Amino acid sequence: MHIVDGALSSPVLITGAVLTVIGVFIGLKKMDYDHLPLVGVLASVFFIASYIHLPLGFSSVHLIMNGLLGILLGWVAFPALLVALLLQVIFFGFGGLLVLGVNTLNIALPAVIIYYLCYKGIRHESAKVAAIWGAIGGAGAIIITSLMVAFSLALSGESFVLAAKAVLPAHIPIMIIEGFVSYAAVYLIHTVKPEFITKDAH
Amino acid sequence: MKQRIELMKANALYTVLLFLFLSVSLGFSSLANAHNVVGGVYAEGFTIEGEAGFSNGSMANEGTVVKVSDTSGTPLGEAVTDDQGYFVFTAKKRITHVFEINMGAGHILKMQLPAEELPDSLDDVTATTISSNSVASTSDITQSSNNNGQVEDTNQAVIQNQIQNQITPLMLEKAIAKQIKPLRREISALKEKSGMRDIIGGIGYIFGLLGLVAFLRERKLKAKQ
Repeated sequence: MHIVDGALSSPVLITGAVLTVIGVFIGLKKMDYDHLPLVGVLASVFFIASYIHLPLGFSSVHLIMNGLLGILLGWVAFPALLVALLLQVIFFGFGGLLVLGVNTLNIALPAVIIYYLCYKGIRHESAKVAAIWGAIGGAGAIIITSLMVAFSLALSGESFVLAAKAVLPAHIPIMIIEGFVSYAAVYLIHTVKPEFITKDAH
Repeated sequence: MKQRIELMKANALYTVLLFLFLSVSLGFSSLANAHNVVGGVYAEGFTIEGEAGFSNGSMANEGTVVKVSDTSGTPLGEAVTDDQGYFVFTAKKRITHVFEINMGAGHILKMQLPAEELPDSLDDVTATTISSNSVASTSDITQSSNNNGQVEDTNQAVIQNQIQNQITPLMLEKAIAKQIKPLRREISALKEKSGMRDIIGGIGYIFGLLGLVAFLRERKLKAKQ
């Protein structure tokens, strides 16, 4: 899911960086400082999740968890993911510093979209219904992210259909796993700590 | 009091979540692999040998197309990787060759072979092959001349000279490139390897950063009061 340095053309890199800066700015504005630890835990979750690789033929895919981040953090997903992605570049060599903007955008924007898409569903009284929306969010975020990755590759010259064909099938297993993980996480939070979800929108 | 209990509940949840992921990541860390692409190109005479793969040691898919071009982007030809991720391309001109391999999903590897690593002309290649034959014969001379004490010194000097003339830098480079090939791969695989230390370190950074934000926030609030 991390695009490496050198795969994208500079206009794509610059656009990605600018949009990410805007997203991070909005995120910092909207950040609820009372929930700072939550942001930290979720950033860590993402940081580790990318390290869990599932072998798939010659390649491998990893959990992304951006759906869950989006559901719980909304716009704050941008700064949280930026920090986590930066650390991944430094520690693991995933992606690169130049593509950090594009990578953050590709992962954080779907999170924000999911936040709005599942806003109502997640706040449903029944934990089960909320959890199902959580699963939809978890899987949906992966689809959007995959499409965005394919799109960024396509903008840099690769044919979209070809890129999408390479990216999407690899993420179907991840989609399913993330759906289950998000379901479980939302269910747990809904029963144990509902105010994380039902806290007022900012 | 109620608030305190709430806080403890929240803390417990964080801890559980963190533990869950730590344990899962521990279990999976053996499967971990980085996304970076690695490869190399080495000239052996006019034959350029190269390899492409991922930093975890798995190589490029068989049949991956390697696009060869010069520095300005004019295509020079194509090569195809074998099942070991190796490819061979025969250079026709002494110019810098650029190799571009698209391993899919944003994994693009670009490598350059500078013109200096290629021999000056085709004649040069034949010359080196001949000289490598004559090196063998000079070593025979060394053995036979070992018995003649006085002649040895002068002979040695001559042979040294001869060898120096005959072992061209190209041959040396070829031999060295061959020897360090596996080392190179091991080093890049080692570089990409990240372990538990990195994971815990990363989490530490995230929490440290948040601590800093919380601290600054607190100070700001206190200053307002």
